[in-house]
Amino acid sequence: MKNLDLIDKYFSNTLSPQEQMVFNDYIQNNEEFKSEFLFQKDLKEVITSNQREDLKKTLQGFEKDLQWKSRVFNLPKKWLIAASICLFLGLGFWYVKGNFFPSDKQLFVTNFHPYRNIVEPIERDSPKQTIKYKAFLAYENENYYKAINLFNSIKNQNDSFISFYKAMCYLSLDKPTEAIGLLLPIATSKKDNGTFKNFHELSNWYLGLAYLKNNEKHKAISQFSIIANLPENTCMKEEAEKILKFLN
Amino acid sequence: MGEDKIIRLLRLGDNATFQKIYIENRRPFIKYAKKFNVDENEAADIYQDSIIALRENAIEGKLNNLESNISTYLFAIAKNKIYRFHREKSKLSFDEDLTLNEKNIEIDVDLFGKKLTNEQEVLRTWFPKLGERCKEVLNLYYYQGFNLDEITQILNYSSKQVLKSQKSRCVKKLKELCRKKI
Repeated sequence: MKNLDLIDKYFSNTLSPQEQMVFNDYIQNNEEFKSEFLFQKDLKEVITSNQREDLKKTLQGFEKDLQWKSRVFNLPKKWLIAASICLFLGLGFWYVKGNFFPSDKQLFVTNFHPYRNIVEPIERDSPKQTIKYKAFLAYENENYYKAINLFNSIKNQNDSFISFYKAMCYLSLDKPTEAIGLLLPIATSKKDNGTFKNFHELSNWYLGLAYLKNNEKHKAISQFSIIANLPENTCMKEEAEKILKFLN
Repeated sequence: MGEDKIIRLLRLGDNATFQKIYIENRRPFIKYAKKFNVDENEAADIYQDSIIALRENAIEGKLNNLESNISTYLFAIAKNKIYRFHREKSKLSFDEDLTLNEKNIEIDVDLFGKKLTNEQEVLRTWFPKLGERCKEVLNLYYYQGFNLDEITQILNYSSKQVLKSQKSRCVKKLKELCRKKI
């Protein structure tokens, strides 16, 4: 349609007096022009109404936020005091609980230390080139992933120390499930008659810790009970008794 | 930020600007409204309508060459609305004459009183079905008061002619949608 520019000029208020006269003439005598103009005029009304409603909603949102904030900040003083006391007591409770009733996780953190290397002495001045030596060197350097790989590469996998130290690595890497899988056979087998007798008892102790870490409280209790009932008085036995007190 | 920039942001519908203005002037206005026994919720409603009127004044160019700042202008609009509200509510003649420092302040902005015609209701139903780009162009053109040159810049069109054709297509599309419905 011709003269659409006149409608554009109408909406941007830029019709000259002459154009205004032509515009008026079209409105009166040209149905098509009139209908186009009325459609756009209606469109303007609708958009205006939509925009007003949208902005109103946005502003109502601001108001809601402000009223909510003012309600929070204008709480009666006695409520605030009561809330402070609750918070103080709550924090105190957590402090006391943490110290006198440690969680299973805390018990693990306090009691777990990777067992020292009693298999392969590391001599920094004259390093050996064996896989076993390299595995323990990585272990002592807390390079646990490397140590696991090297332990896996040792030819004779029957020695219980391999599983035991691999379990130490997994526990240090927060992977108790893998550690349990390795410790369980050593702990449940009859006493190790090989070179490293200690690994049987040690495995029971570390298995207890691995269960703690794995949130298996009941299994942890039975493990520590085994150690607490050992006939010899060992340092491990005393520690196990302490842990059992917390767990029970 | 300069007043010109604020006026442009109001026209563009910038939410952060609305929020800033809303928060800055709300408390003094609610306090003022209390003198006329207007409670907080009613006052907030009047205050919101005043901000909408402020935006429309900005769109119509009434805020250009402003002698006072925007907050003063907003307060003047809101005061007028309070007087009107109070007058209607109390049905008493109001002796105090409106003493306004600003010219061209829209006293009788009836934002939500107008009922849409049937044709407009149909348009209102189908307008949201247009694409985002179309809605943007039409809003800027028919409500926010930007001319085609300005919209070409705002929406990064390659030329005014391209925008013009886009606008015509959008209007045509809307017409078709409305026709189908009828």
